[in-house]
Amino acid sequence: MGRRKKIVQECERLMDEPENIRNIAIAAHVDHGKTTLSDNLLAGAGMISDETAGEQLAMDTEEDEQERGITIDAANVSMTHEYEGTNHLINLIDTPGHVDFGGDVTRAMRAVDGALVVVDAVEGAMPQTETVLRQALREGVKPTLFINKVDRLISELQEGPEEMQRRLVSVINDVNELIRGMTEEMDDIEDWTVSVEDGTVGFGSALYKWGVSMPSMQRTGMDFGDIMDLERSDKRQELHERTPLSDVVLDMVCEHFPNPVDAQPRRIPRIWRGDDDTELAEGMRLVDEDGEVVFMVTDIGMDPHAGEIASGRVFSGSLEKGQELYVSGTAGKNRIQSVGIYMGGEREEVERVPAGNIAAVTGLKDAIAGSTVSSVEMTPFESIEHISEPVITKSVEAKSMDDLPKLIETLRQVSKEDPTIQIEINEETGEHLISGQGELHLEVITQRIEKNQGIPVNTGEPIVVYREQPQEPSDEIEGISPNRHNRFYVSIEPMSDELVEAIQLGEASMDMPEQERREALQNAGMEKDDSQEVEHIHGTNILIDDTKGIQHLNETMELVIEGFEDALNNGPLANEPVQGTLIRLHDARLHEDTIHRGPAQVIPATRNALHNALIDGRIKMLEPMQDVRIDVPNDHMGAASGEIQGRRGRVDDMYQEGDLMVVEGIAPVGEMIGFASDIRSATEGRASWNTENAGFEVMSDSLQREKIMEIRERKGMKLELPEIIQYI
Amino acid sequence: MLTFIGLGLYDERSITVEGREALRAADRAYAEFYTSELLGTTVADLESAHDVSIEVRDRAGVEREPEEMLAAAESEDVAFLTAGDTMISTTHVDLRLRAHDRGIETRVIHGVTAQTAASSLTGLQNYRFGKATTLPFPYAHGADGLPASVTETIDANRADGLHTVVYLDIKAERGEYMTADTGAELLADVYPELVGVVVARAGSPAPLVAAGRMRELAERSFGDPLHLLVVPGECHLLEADALVELAGAEEDALDVA
Ligand SMILES: Nc1nc2c(ncn2[C@@H]2O[C@H](COP(=O)(O)OP(=O)(O)O)[C@@H](O)[C@H]2O)c(=O)[nH]1
Ligand SMILES: [Mg+2]
Repeated sequence: MGRRKKIVQECERLMDEPENIRNIAIAAHVDHGKTTLSDNLLAGAGMISDETAGEQLAMDTEEDEQERGITIDAANVSMTHEYEGTNHLINLIDTPGHVDFGGDVTRAMRAVDGALVVVDAVEGAMPQTETVLRQALREGVKPTLFINKVDRLISELQEGPEEMQRRLVSVINDVNELIRGMTEEMDDIEDWTVSVEDGTVGFGSALYKWGVSMPSMQRTGMDFGDIMDLERSDKRQELHERTPLSDVVLDMVCEHFPNPVDAQPRRIPRIWRGDDDTELAEGMRLVDEDGEVVFMVTDIGMDPHAGEIASGRVFSGSLEKGQELYVSGTAGKNRIQSVGIYMGGEREEVERVPAGNIAAVTGLKDAIAGSTVSSVEMTPFESIEHISEPVITKSVEAKSMDDLPKLIETLRQVSKEDPTIQIEINEETGEHLISGQGELHLEVITQRIEKNQGIPVNTGEPIVVYREQPQEPSDEIEGISPNRHNRFYVSIEPMSDELVEAIQLGEASMDMPEQERREALQNAGMEKDDSQEVEHIHGTNILIDDTKGIQHLNETMELVIEGFEDALNNGPLANEPVQGTLIRLHDARLHEDTIHRGPAQVIPATRNALHNALIDGRIKMLEPMQDVRIDVPNDHMGAASGEIQGRRGRVDDMYQEGDLMVVEGIAPVGEMIGFASDIRSATEGRASWNTENAGFEVMSDSLQREKIMEIRERKGMKLELPEIIQYI
Repeated sequence: MLTFIGLGLYDERSITVEGREALRAADRAYAEFYTSELLGTTVADLESAHDVSIEVRDRAGVEREPEEMLAAAESEDVAFLTAGDTMISTTHVDLRLRAHDRGIETRVIHGVTAQTAASSLTGLQNYRFGKATTLPFPYAHGADGLPASVTETIDANRADGLHTVVYLDIKAERGEYMTADTGAELLADVYPELVGVVVARAGSPAPLVAAGRMRELAERSFGDPLHLLVVPGECHLLEADALVELAGAEEDALDVA
């Protein structure tokens, strides 16, 4: 029997023992060493050969990732590790480090119970460390800390023991401060701070494959002094053999991360809003392999032979070939064609995957990343919590006519795999639109289309997505249908930030049971009466039906909503999406016969009513902003801060960190296009930088008209504003 | 002067003599065929039969841009044509009111409408009809299944023993006319055993009247449009006789008082 076959068999055996399973993710700021560490763990567990670990980058399965050296898709691997005489099955999900891919990180977190946070010893905790940590904690995922690149402190920076200790302690303190702050208000989570004494902190070098922790020192008898000596004298191979990184980390994983049986009772109430008195809920809490099947899809991948592969966490029951399962948000059932687990970058088919494991299945043609798949109809898992409104759009066009259908298919596929990507297919012009989290995000996606699918494409200039939002409450406005037999009376008001955030985070949505939605809205500050009359939520806008007993309104409501949605998707200023608006429908007069209150009548009436109400509420343009952080040597600091200020940006803070200066600020996304190359030339390539989306801000009055006209011109709209807009 | 002229039910000869004279005398003629149509003729045939040129306006051209018609009517004799009767099952009272608003004189010349044809061809008495309703194509209204306004109308009429005219949706611009079998199929969802009466091609030389249970009507076909359905309520003896004799109804299926 081949070695690989043996490992698969061992995995299959372990899958049935949930006490010995650990589902984990590695989360880190970009370049802190996540991929290198993952490969090491695989090699240590005998999944890939020792020599190639670190070069092979088994986790970076997409070609463009290996080239760029950044990890884009969360890939999954399973490995086994013996700890205290018992073999354990460790399912590892790799997560992307660049924030442009934030959606993937959160989805990965849903599938795991523990997050190994990797921090570069030289750089310390960085903005994305904070982001991924927050994502983990929000999902009820327990953290441990691995401080990487310690070799650089010893060999490169030549730090002495005290200096090094100070630095490591400060990294630990920083991380603990983040954890403490984020878990303070979480009642279901006890003290999750990490410490060397508890063994929840490890140190080492993913590159040279050695590691150390309190328990490992006790086991190997090697202390920090011994390690520094060996590292300094370049005896890294010996160091690796005497205190291998993978043992240190995998021991920590087995010891400190909860197994599914411990984790699920705590996590299920946090991530699932269904009725916890049901057998279904019981099955999930108990990780019951004989219960109803509950499978949460965290990722959709593409296999050239097998087609779409849905991977995710089995919370209850067992996945088997031939099962007919419900997919949340779609009608009918899908039939499972195969089930498997991941070994390195490859999928291995197995007979069944029981509760508590990460599975990869084919046949779920309706599933998207985030779907709940189950053997009985059920409340889906809460929508995954991340704010991922796209802020930038690019047009994509196939160079060759022959590729037209394939491009459409690929674009659909891309948006299924990554729900933070939005696509708009235009079969007539062939010029499709793809929207995402940032310039790099879109660049990576288009490159993937070109390289992996072999479709040469032309792409347009990146276009920023703007928003429109009213600034004050409006009067009651009448909307009249073209035949004048139908009338709608509407007013709007801007919504509180708290309410907007509750919707963005999925705390209140139309998918959830009415009672829960009411409570969530009230918690976010909505009046009780209003919360009971919520008719619809679209984007971050809410429709409240304040009418009483109007005949025929019920059967007309869908059209009313259609008109409102149309008005919200295309705001009155420049056809940009409207956000944060509370709409009240006060009254309506309807024609007796359906035929005279059809779409041609109701949609324009409600659309115009809403547009006029928004204008009465002094609607204005908002632009997306990005937080920018630049790390740069002192003598380039002026140039770096100039790059922010020169982009209508604002520098908020400048401070020394180690031997570098940190410049923090905020700037409009629209002005940040091309930042990568500009900052490189301005600082002779000495700056490292990082951006994070920071929501939308109202543009200054002096820029409103200019920006509106610029967008209207681009869209081929009339270059004069409706007369009633005189405040701009 | 704005004269609303009903063209009647079927072809260029369905107009009244008075209507024809008024049309010939008009300086301009506009028509709309989005609420109903004359299936026995074309606009060109209408024009040559009456020796006028007719400008056909779509819904937007009537509802949103009536300006041109109204401006013309201020100084000239303008005829506004529709199938059937211009004020029955339409929303043109709005146009008439706008004209009044501008001090334009208006006049209505009636045409034969489906409402009376339904009564005449079936033998059901016009005194015994309740509210009428339209059955829209499923894609054209904002609810699942049958719109409540349709079932509520039929139910309320039947509770009072009254008949219901069910107009079948016309999407002239898409060339779609709901046929009676489709209408019966939709109604059969709620009223499978209820008797319906199909009236097809009223006003033409060969109209058809046929009665049956909804689920049976759904399986039949009734030839070219236009069709409408009547849902009889409680039938008077003579009404029942007429349905049996003229529409082939089964006596037992009817609700005879
Ligand atoms: N000196 C040193 N370099 C490391 C270490 N771990 C990773 N690197 C290097 O850091 C860079 C980024 O590593 P990678 O694993 O791709 O980081 P990721 O972006 O977090 O996945 C690569 O050039 C690695 O070789 C380490 O422990 N020591
Ligand atoms: Mg990587």
